[in-house]
Amino acid sequence: MKRILIVEDEKALCLLYGEEFGRAGYDVTTAYDADAALQELKAKDFDLIITDIRMPGKNGIELITQIMGLRKDIPIIINSAYQSHKEDFMTWAADAYVVKSSSLDELKQKIRELIGA
Amino acid sequence: MIEKFSFLTSDFEKDAPKEMMLLSIISQSFFQPFSLEDNLLVILTALTSGSGVGFNRAMLFLREGERLRGEIWLGPRTPEEAGYIWDVLATPGIGYVEIIEHNRALVSKNEDTLSRRIKNVVFTMDEATCAQVPVQAACLKEICLVRDAANEPLVDRRFFELIQVDEFLCIPLIARDEVFGEIILDNAFTRVHISPGDVKLASLCGLIASNYLYSATLHRRLLDVEKMAAMGEMAMFVTHQLRNPLVTIGGFTDQLLQPGVTEEKRERNLRIIRDEIQRLESIVYQMGHFLKVSLKDPVYFEVGPVIESVLRSPEIQAKGRAYTLNVKVEDCLPQVLCDPTSFGEILRNLLDNAFDATPPGGTISVRAYRKNSASFVLSVRDTGRGISNPDRGRFFQPFFTTKEKGMGLGLPFIKRVMDTCGGQIEVQSRPGRGARFRLVFRSQGGEKTP
Repeated sequence: MKRILIVEDEKALCLLYGEEFGRAGYDVTTAYDADAALQELKAKDFDLIITDIRMPGKNGIELITQIMGLRKDIPIIINSAYQSHKEDFMTWAADAYVVKSSSLDELKQKIRELIGA
Repeated sequence: MIEKFSFLTSDFEKDAPKEMMLLSIISQSFFQPFSLEDNLLVILTALTSGSGVGFNRAMLFLREGERLRGEIWLGPRTPEEAGYIWDVLATPGIGYVEIIEHNRALVSKNEDTLSRRIKNVVFTMDEATCAQVPVQAACLKEICLVRDAANEPLVDRRFFELIQVDEFLCIPLIARDEVFGEIILDNAFTRVHISPGDVKLASLCGLIASNYLYSATLHRRLLDVEKMAAMGEMAMFVTHQLRNPLVTIGGFTDQLLQPGVTEEKRERNLRIIRDEIQRLESIVYQMGHFLKVSLKDPVYFEVGPVIESVLRSPEIQAKGRAYTLNVKVEDCLPQVLCDPTSFGEILRNLLDNAFDATPPGGTISVRAYRKNSASFVLSVRDTGRGISNPDRGRFFQPFFTTKEKGMGLGLPFIKRVMDTCGGQIEVQSRPGRGARFRLVFRSQGGEKTP
């Protein structure tokens, strides 16, 4: 089963993503901030990381920078409410940038493209 | 030994040169936090008062796009009024402050003052009118002295009807090659001819006025730019704040639409959806609240009942149950200068922040006491996580928040209110050691009886 790490400070969204991607057949771990995510990454192997940008503490861009130093091979999807973070070149290192939407179809589609069903 | 002097001098040598007096008066007025209109009035006062240049009347037009619009016309309406005013102003002991006060009353009265007569007067700076005085002076950026207006074909007839005097001086207000307005001066009552010396001195005042208008315009433009930047940041922040609940509502609604949803899951999802809708409502409320164009003017009010009503509100009571609430409100509190509703909101905001920052079981202390005969202190202290150093400089900025669901508008609101009522905010905090917000308000009364 493919493993996904979700980094998102909104607890309700973590619950939703966990259930939805779990139902789609993935093994989902959620982290509420960047530090918790880094802990998870050290402890387990993941096939994909989905991260928000604006979070308390370290933001998603700082997290991506650190992941790059840690594990270059894991694909990353940025999932932000802001379109404008695309202007930050560090977000270009991610494999996909999906703006948050009330439909999860686009996000699910990107996950399938990157790691298969 | 080092000698020190103040910028502001209220007394001048009686025989000081006129130029020196003028320069001092105008510069001192700019030094003080007067409004744009007050400062312009000071310039016109300097031009019309006996100890200044001594013109009988001074008229100010300000530029609006390609038009000159009448703003202030300072001076008496009739020779009788002129005589009366000059008598008053010649009274020993009357200084510039009194003259400016007097002039302020003169231009703000609702009766038929000179100022009212030019408030609606507009001259367009187009090709046709540029050939005629007074617009000519602004268009050509030259000082124009008219000696015989009645017979001068280049004087705008409409303007002659208004001013009804043969001799007048037009000084365009120019800074950095840009025209900001025009001052027009005359001696309608004394009929004294305008001398080359008068022109020189008046043009000097004109230059100072121009530079003042220039810097005031720059300041306004800067504020507009800042406002636009803040609006941009706000739009971005609101997008984020609205999008998160929308994603949650959308996602959990989609789950409900799928077949085979259990009763338990249905109820849970509906609760989540309801919570998120409440959050959307709260965002809309806070935005509307923060964007209120102007706060109410501060007044002196009884502060005790407001504090009590906030502390007794069901919302604060409910949140407070998880904490040790330590309240010490002094007896005989003074009257505090603030809008009472804003004061209540400040206290609620401070308490909300304290609750959010402090884990249940912590202590939150509220103190209200007289600091001295003219100031009152409201302080809220918590034993929560404190404020980290990098965040210290930023927490009064709108939309800066460390809370998961915060808008970052509470502290900026408090700052706005405190700025409006001339109060001060002191913050003490160390990471992990709680925070104390101490607000110092102006106050009066509430002396302790021995």
